[in-house]
Amino acid sequence: MANARRRNGLIAGALFVVAGGMVGMAFAAVPLYQLFCQVTGYGGTPRIGVSEKPVAAGDRTITVRFDANVNSTLPWKFRPAQKEMTVRLGETVLAHFVARNVSAEPIVGTATFNVTPFKAGPYFSKVECFCFTEQSLDPGQEVAMPVSFYVDPEIHADPGTREIRTITLSYTFFRAVGDPGGTGKGAAGTDQNLLSTDKGSTRLAIAVGSIGNRIGKR
Amino acid sequence: MAYGASATAHDAHEHIPTGWRRWLYSTNHKDIGTMYMVLAMIGGVVGGAMSWFIRLELAVPGIQYIDDFQFYNVLVTAHGLIMVFFVVMPALIGGFGNWIVPLMIGAPDMAFPRMNNISFWLLAAALILLVTAALIGGGPGTGWTVYPPLSNAEYHPGPAVDFAILSLHLAGASSLLGAINFITTILNMRAPGMTLHRMPLFVWSILVTAFLLLLAMPVLAGALTMLLTDRNFGTSFFDAAGGGDPILWQHLFWFFGHPEVYIMILPGFGVISQVVSTFSRKPVFGYLGMAYAMVSIGVIGFIVWAHHMYTVGLDVDTRAYFVAATLVIAVPTGIKIFSWIATMWGGSIRFDTPMLWAMGFIALFVVGGVTGLVLANAGVNTAVHDTYYVVAHFHYVLSLGAVFSIFTAFYYWIGKMTGRQYPETLGRIHFWLTFVSVNLLFFPMHFLGLQGMPRRIPDYADAYAGWNLVSSFGALLTALATVLFFYIVYRTFTAGEKVAANPWGEGATTLEWTVESPAPFHTHEEIPAMGRRQPAE
Amino acid sequence: MIKRLRVLAPLIAACAAAGSALAAAPEPWRLGFQAAASPVMERISEFHNLLLVIITGITVFVLGLMVYVALRFNEKSNPVPSKTTHNTVLEVLWTAVPVVILMVIAVPSFKLLYFMDRAQNAEMTIKVIGHQWYWSYEYPDHGNFTFDSLMVPDDELKDGQPRLLAVDNKVVLPIDTDIRILLTSDDVLHAWAVPALITKLDAVPGRINETWMRINREGTYYGQCSELCGVNHGFMPVAVEAVSKETFQAWVKTANKEFARADSDALQVAETGTGAR
Repeated sequence: MANARRRNGLIAGALFVVAGGMVGMAFAAVPLYQLFCQVTGYGGTPRIGVSEKPVAAGDRTITVRFDANVNSTLPWKFRPAQKEMTVRLGETVLAHFVARNVSAEPIVGTATFNVTPFKAGPYFSKVECFCFTEQSLDPGQEVAMPVSFYVDPEIHADPGTREIRTITLSYTFFRAVGDPGGTGKGAAGTDQNLLSTDKGSTRLAIAVGSIGNRIGKR
Repeated sequence: MAYGASATAHDAHEHIPTGWRRWLYSTNHKDIGTMYMVLAMIGGVVGGAMSWFIRLELAVPGIQYIDDFQFYNVLVTAHGLIMVFFVVMPALIGGFGNWIVPLMIGAPDMAFPRMNNISFWLLAAALILLVTAALIGGGPGTGWTVYPPLSNAEYHPGPAVDFAILSLHLAGASSLLGAINFITTILNMRAPGMTLHRMPLFVWSILVTAFLLLLAMPVLAGALTMLLTDRNFGTSFFDAAGGGDPILWQHLFWFFGHPEVYIMILPGFGVISQVVSTFSRKPVFGYLGMAYAMVSIGVIGFIVWAHHMYTVGLDVDTRAYFVAATLVIAVPTGIKIFSWIATMWGGSIRFDTPMLWAMGFIALFVVGGVTGLVLANAGVNTAVHDTYYVVAHFHYVLSLGAVFSIFTAFYYWIGKMTGRQYPETLGRIHFWLTFVSVNLLFFPMHFLGLQGMPRRIPDYADAYAGWNLVSSFGALLTALATVLFFYIVYRTFTAGEKVAANPWGEGATTLEWTVESPAPFHTHEEIPAMGRRQPAE
Repeated sequence: MIKRLRVLAPLIAACAAAGSALAAAPEPWRLGFQAAASPVMERISEFHNLLLVIITGITVFVLGLMVYVALRFNEKSNPVPSKTTHNTVLEVLWTAVPVVILMVIAVPSFKLLYFMDRAQNAEMTIKVIGHQWYWSYEYPDHGNFTFDSLMVPDDELKDGQPRLLAVDNKVVLPIDTDIRILLTSDDVLHAWAVPALITKLDAVPGRINETWMRINREGTYYGQCSELCGVNHGFMPVAVEAVSKETFQAWVKTANKEFARADSDALQVAETGTGAR
């Protein structure tokens, strides 16, 4: 009887470990999912090709359209500087988006992005992009935000993506989590929130300095 | 069904606690099973009332009773959550599982009787929390899937969604403890001679279900915790503004959610196997195939989750994979259906009430199953996703599948539990009334869905009026059938005939029919001999 | 047991009714899909008709077996039960035959899926944005104007406008044109759905989704939001007005005068709470 009870305890213990492991898996899914998307281009996540050398440019071209969105909680205007570009495959090109703060206070924004069709994601590499950092804009300030990218020529070798002639690159700006004026979470405007705003501004300064593409205040 | 006749069940060995202590402190699998069933009945009345209110609102176009659409959404949400977590699961797993599994495997009780008690009371607390959630702060109008951003603090401020999350946490912990208890009991406490391959199929079904719970529930718990911290502590797991992704929630939720639908239906499969075998007076046909069909349904259930997400914007190859994986489920399901029919083939079938319900289950589950075959195809799914076609599909497999199996189990085992038999004629009337009315209720929903009527809307375009009225009429009849059911429960307790240990005759070969009816407070204290009583093989 | 057959009657009727009348909006007592008005929807209808035959066949077969078993092997007709519990041939058969049926389903299913996904070299693009609780549309290739599309409340309905489906500004599109649809949301999840044109795709904040459609004939096509999005989820319909290419060009001219530009510098104040009821 005592033996049976010990075995019961052993089995239950093992099962509890399994259950705990599954909780861990659920949390591990968060970074894994992001990593998975970035590495495979799954769900239209462009690849980040900072360290890669641009692949040799071919003759074939593809049209890249630009799409800009601003979440309505962020009083910014945001538009692509060019509607579309025809780019040679493998060639690294620079495009710009223009953002302007139309409110009377400095605001930190952050952008999400993806490309469509989703299956083009693995072949669309971004070399440098404003979306990698938070952006802070003073009242009335307008900046051009550069993004440099290339489309891998392999896109026309893969039978699944061969017919793609147009890729849409889309950005959506949100008010950064922790921005004191935000209506969402973190709207309380605690010290910690202010701190994170400062951090955002510092990061922007570095970003803008390095790219040197500031149009200036209006 | 209170454990009414227990006072007559004398037990020489041990004292039976009396009064409230017997229930609150209960460590007895039969008493806990009974409490689960009472909870399921309460849940059924509450969740059923909500659905009747919804059908009342939808009976004719225009706004009839519910002019607060948030309240309508809360009704839809609470109906779903209650039916899943507080009716089907407690009835089949907590109720009949607790009552019957130890009896069937010849164990004196569950492996961890005190943990069993905790499981039950956690679930009771969860139900109270969920009802509280529905009544405070506008209620959770998010659907049972609780998709963010709608469930984020920005769109559902107030404590309602937090309460709902905590309620699901408790319900999840309850099922998890229950699952660990069942697995340990079934693996370690079988009578000598009862090898895994000799276990009755109902025990097999509970074993597979418990493993599904063990693997799926923690994922829900993790996802719910992330949602809770997103709502209250400024994290951004599912918030695009903070670098999260609302689609990740759907992946996590459906990784739990798809196994969850098998958690609800597998115990039903087990019940149907027992009943079909008993009333055909034949052993189950293809016993091993049946057992391993359930195992494979459970395994495949974990790799098909994104077929709930065909329209969120998944890449085409991903959708193609999920189409293929989902179609594969039809194979083990087909094996089960055909094995039931083969069990009846050549039998000498008696059509008592449990057998009627079992055959009704098979018929309706086939209808729900084949619409699942349609929905599995990502192409056609685009046309019917989030329409009433889906509502019809999952009510055929759950409301008519799982709930029919609950009624099957009730009529099959009520004599064993109470020592009194249900009234046979009323039982048959209950079956036919329910069978006709649920078809009236749910079949027209296919037509509405094909035409494009979306789910979860409080009012609909005038052209949808005809079939909605038919459906609401069916709901009215179903309500009558439910009233009849409670009358049958009442009659069983007050005027039911006393039953012998085995009222079903030679076909009932499992161990629970060897103990007297009602099953005494303590059973199998002396280890039963298996002899040649095993179900098959 | 014969009564089980009643389950089948509507199924067969639905089969017969599929594709009878032409509809761009739901019709009373209709059994099947709305009449297809796009190449994808035509293929879906076709595939669904195949599925309907298969699933009706399976259902009739299983119910037929059950009726037979009930009549032939009941207590009276067969007092002594057999003891058969195995038949290898039978078990292999009922595993193999469903696999074959699944193949029959899977092949056209994949064809359809990849056809729907075919990245079109679209002739024009529109952008659809879901809001609580209305849709807004942008025409980036035609002057980038934008407008909101709200449900017409019951008391403002004009003759012929279907209740809960009619909107103030329909989205006007040309027929016989491959149209790329970009879809996103400003707040919670929505889904843009038009049954007769088979477009149904979720609008997700912070991410753009893409699909395409081609409309075969002129008419007004109605649909509704198909993802629970809060209080007025049931009251944000979609109405597509398909017109000839010439009419579309004329409409674009007036629309450019009437509606604001999507990237105008004037800050648009998000309209809220326009739930109309």
